[in-house]
Amino acid sequence: MHKKHSSTEQCEMDMTPMIDVVFQLIIFFVVTLKMTQDRNEDIILEDGKHGVTLTQDNMPPTLLEIEVGKRGRISIHNATLTKSMLHSILKQRVNRLGPTFPVLIRADKRASHELVKDVMDICTASGIWKLSFVAIQEPKGK
Amino acid sequence: MAYAGKKKRGESPKLDMTPMIDVVFQLLIFFVVTIKQEDILSQLSAARPAPDKNAKPDKQPDLLNIIVAPQGFIFNGRPVTLADLDRRIERYSKISKTAMIVIKCTADSPHGLLIQALDICSKHGMENLSIFSM
Repeated sequence: MHKKHSSTEQCEMDMTPMIDVVFQLIIFFVVTLKMTQDRNEDIILEDGKHGVTLTQDNMPPTLLEIEVGKRGRISIHNATLTKSMLHSILKQRVNRLGPTFPVLIRADKRASHELVKDVMDICTASGIWKLSFVAIQEPKGK
Repeated sequence: MAYAGKKKRGESPKLDMTPMIDVVFQLLIFFVVTIKQEDILSQLSAARPAPDKNAKPDKQPDLLNIIVAPQGFIFNGRPVTLADLDRRIERYSKISKTAMIVIKCTADSPHGLLIQALDICSKHGMENLSIFSM
């Protein structure tokens, strides 16, 4: 009698630990998710395993990252700029910080050199000689 | 009867967890699918000389000339493959790390080739890099 009763009844599991873990995971993903697009995601970078690794430490707040798309779209933080706008931005920065602030060029590997040259020429015209290019050291994304 | 009523008051009301767990799993799956791991990036530095210095870059000693063309690289006047270029730069880097390397890019060459050349120079610790455009 007693045996029969226990076999038909649903076995009750304690859900609390599982719910705890799942909530922890959700909070982790919510916190790490970045919804805003503050860079041009269409750019495909070339591999460069031997360059200096870009970390939070060697990226000072004065760093300026200029993006050059496949077809020559110039942007900073995914905001499209004309060449004259880029020139005035660089001029202002040079006036404020001097010509030694780091400039990174994040150019698509399929972009022709002519398009990158335009950006480099604008930098040179603003007095910035030292330029850095961004490459992928270790691919992690899909 | 009295016993049943007493039990009902003492016990916490049982909540149906199933809908909440369904929703929470949906959220979890959404976040797992949408998360994208970031690539680790590196920077390759080079100097861009002033246009007036552009006139005679060949006069300096210890000058290595890499031309980046759409089809590939030309090292000191000879067409080379990427592996070839790697070997030649390695040989020069053993003699002098401060030798001036001039990378000349043709207008129609893809930017990826320039990055490859810069990467090789960085691999062997060459310090004096400048990029000219043709």
